[in-house]
Amino acid sequence: MLSFEYLILIASSLILLSIAIAKFSDNLGVPTLLLFLGIGMLAGSDGPGGIYFDDAKLSQSIGIVALIFILFAGGLDTKWNEVRPVLKEASILATLGVLITALSIALLMVYVFNLSFLNGLLLGAIVSSTDAAAVFSVLRSKNVSLKGNLKPLLELESGSNDPMAVFLTIGTLQMLTIADTAWSDIVLLFFYQMGIGALFGFGFAKGMVLTLNRLKFSYEGIYPVLAIAFAGFTYAATALVNGSGFLAVYIAGLVVGNSDIIQKKSLLRFFDGLSWLGQIAMFLTLGLLAFPHQLVTIIGSGMVISLFLILIARPLGVFLSLAVSRFSTKEKIFISWVGLRGAVPIVLATFPLLAKTPDAQILFNIVFFIVLTSALLQGWSLPVVAKILGLDQPMKKKRNHPIEFAAMENSDTQLVDIVIPFNSDVIGRPIVELGLPGDSLVVLISRSDNFVVPSGGTSIEDGDTLLVLVNKHNLPAVREIFSRQKVKE
Amino acid sequence: MTLWSIITNMRISDILDESVVRVNLKGKSKDEVINEMIAIVNHSNKILDIEKVREAIFEREKIMSTGVGNGFAIPHGKTDAVLDIVAAFAITEEPIDYESLDEQPVRLIFLLVGKDSMVGPHIKLLSRISRLMNKEEFRSKLLGATTPKQVIEIFKTEEAQYFEN
Repeated sequence: MLSFEYLILIASSLILLSIAIAKFSDNLGVPTLLLFLGIGMLAGSDGPGGIYFDDAKLSQSIGIVALIFILFAGGLDTKWNEVRPVLKEASILATLGVLITALSIALLMVYVFNLSFLNGLLLGAIVSSTDAAAVFSVLRSKNVSLKGNLKPLLELESGSNDPMAVFLTIGTLQMLTIADTAWSDIVLLFFYQMGIGALFGFGFAKGMVLTLNRLKFSYEGIYPVLAIAFAGFTYAATALVNGSGFLAVYIAGLVVGNSDIIQKKSLLRFFDGLSWLGQIAMFLTLGLLAFPHQLVTIIGSGMVISLFLILIARPLGVFLSLAVSRFSTKEKIFISWVGLRGAVPIVLATFPLLAKTPDAQILFNIVFFIVLTSALLQGWSLPVVAKILGLDQPMKKKRNHPIEFAAMENSDTQLVDIVIPFNSDVIGRPIVELGLPGDSLVVLISRSDNFVVPSGGTSIEDGDTLLVLVNKHNLPAVREIFSRQKVKE
Repeated sequence: MTLWSIITNMRISDILDESVVRVNLKGKSKDEVINEMIAIVNHSNKILDIEKVREAIFEREKIMSTGVGNGFAIPHGKTDAVLDIVAAFAITEEPIDYESLDEQPVRLIFLLVGKDSMVGPHIKLLSRISRLMNKEEFRSKLLGATTPKQVIEIFKTEEAQYFEN
């Protein structure tokens, strides 16, 4: 057993290496997740790293924890007014679309590979959800953005279709391992899981918004901690009553992110970072878990399934789900192409491993192969496909707002009324000469029953009352300046 | 006349009446007299939470002393625990060490509590009170008053002149 320090050294070195490679490969256009996966594989038992790792249980745990934060962060960052117009389409894609994709794969497995329907469905279910992070990292690195409602649709779809894939996988496993499970039970389970997931996610989020805004902490650092605990709590509480924990977390993120909360900007930044860490950790672990030499034996069948998924199963799901929608054929083709598979399928493939179903290892290898090829083929060609279909446009620069007004109430900054002392040294002097600290500001002067919006040249007069923006760091200096008495001659 | 101008042109004599004026405040220290004045306005039905009022006033005092000089202090604060502007005026029996900026003892104290959302009227009143109290003649008139009624009269007369100018 390695010492604890070694484990930390290895883990942090892998993360550092991943970030360094991601940095230098920005222009390759390969989805960054693939790089992380690759580094994991190289560090693993079949690569030069030679780290032997086959702990599926640990990988699954890391995967689930990472997913909680990735989904919560994704929800936080999703703007409700952008996704609102595509809510219906995205919901259908995330449920019916996923189901159709899974069923198509199941049929392929039955008719081409002579598998039983349930075993085929298990594979279909596992690879049925798409990965948003993969898509947007590719587009962002190429400085390409999408026209119309495509971006919000894809974002919402990929953020919300994982719960469906999880449900299908667990449901199929249940039918495989527990003999007398009826189809009607599974359908009921679906509505129960999604219903509870949505309800809990929404309810907990409302509670969190109230808590955040009511309890005013004097330490900014406590807010992200509160949010982490909250996201974990939402997942666990929902999952413990058999609701869809992932759906709950995503919806909770969506609700919190679209409410007026203090410290929102710093919370978003924090979760953006946490989501990156989650992705890196998850892909590295999954890369480590795979044994690339085993992939060789399934290349043939893996390629057939992967191409079928990309060219038939996904387009079928998209076109049927969006049969009645405003999206054009070109847009539907593009949506079909943005069917990148990410970490969720690999995490899901660890479930059969742990349930010890027969051929679970082969299943895991096939899933791993599908994710690799889909991310490579589709990820690489995304910008080109967008261009060919005429759906791309140059990326807009994000505007940065210099002041976080929402956070004012809780930050160190405050507006203070200052009644100019009767014999103050500042009387008769222009504001610019007072020597106020750079980040303090005289906002308003009340003078002779009028308000004066001051500029640097405005002089302070007898009987003025000032509204001054100060923070706790420059307060002593500001106080000193206004308190100083005129020297009597 | 718009509502806004009615509010912003609120006169000092509109917010002071005999019930909130004292001419013999007993306190010996800054904190004692401030608390005494908060007790005076405690009976007002405009106050929702007297402790929040107290907190707002002492918090503001921490930022910078409101003993603005010449024996006058104007403790003030804004809070959401009042429904409207609340004021009180008092003359202390003895000069108080108020940690004033000019280090002179204080005998005249004006307390002003504003609503959080009413920044404009609040600083307008502060400014008007400070302009009145900056006059030496006015201060000595007030110091000569022996009843709350006289104090109110002095404020009214002075403010009437002030508006004529």
